[in-house]
Amino acid sequence: MELLTVSVAASEAAGEPYTLVEIAGEADVTNSDELRRLLDEEVSKQPHTLILDLSGLRFMDSSALHALLLVNRALDRQGGVLALVSPQAAVAKILRLTTADRLIPVFSSVADAAVG
Amino acid sequence: MSYDYTTDLAAIRAVVHRYALLAGLPEPRATDLVLAVSEVAANTVRHAKSPGSLKIWYDSDEIVCQVHDDGIITDPLAGRHRPSLNAKGGHGLWIVNQVCDQVDMRSDETGTTIRLHMKLPRPRPRSLPRSRMATGPGEEYLHRTRRGTTRAWNC
Repeated sequence: MELLTVSVAASEAAGEPYTLVEIAGEADVTNSDELRRLLDEEVSKQPHTLILDLSGLRFMDSSALHALLLVNRALDRQGGVLALVSPQAAVAKILRLTTADRLIPVFSSVADAAVG
Repeated sequence: MSYDYTTDLAAIRAVVHRYALLAGLPEPRATDLVLAVSEVAANTVRHAKSPGSLKIWYDSDEIVCQVHDDGIITDPLAGRHRPSLNAKGGHGLWIVNQVCDQVDMRSDETGTTIRLHMKLPRPRPRSLPRSRMATGPGEEYLHRTRRGTTRAWNC
């Protein structure tokens, strides 16, 4: 079984398009480069809103968090917005400890994130 | 328990979680310990040139996870200060210091040893009904005795 799976879908809410990326499994130093590469691919398509559904992500370490922060910065520079959805307790903890959740908005549902 | 690892951090996390629960560390502290050990072991993946080793032990007071590798940490205060979100690294050890009750770090030319301590909930024998104490221990008593926790029960 893959340690980390990432799936991408394009959608829209209230006429606003967004890209939804579901990240599931465990993200750590051994796959954070790959995670960043996959997310950078989406950033390069210049979405207005990039939503990461973390509900299936059981674990995230500081390397994977760093990847998300870099993606957030890249997206911000081109006028886009990154949003996180439904982090599990362990992932919410690292977001809170590092105050990353103050930098990247966290929502409880994809629908909420899509309308910002 | 001793375990050598290279890049199989998911396996390390599973082992730590299993032992944390076995030792009696409740959630969400067990998950905190998993995060801390994974962050330390991630440093092995990043910096060390040979496999790392993980040892876990516990008694009635605490569970300790010790990670050793051949990497060298030159800053004795590594992880004691919150890094900026823009910082390239340094979040890992800071997180470790935030979630663990005690962190001991020793680093010299032979490598680095980091011990992560988590306090275990104290058994509370005096809160049990007298009759239960007099007629014999319950399952909890036997469980704790098997773990070598007899001191608190000599009352």
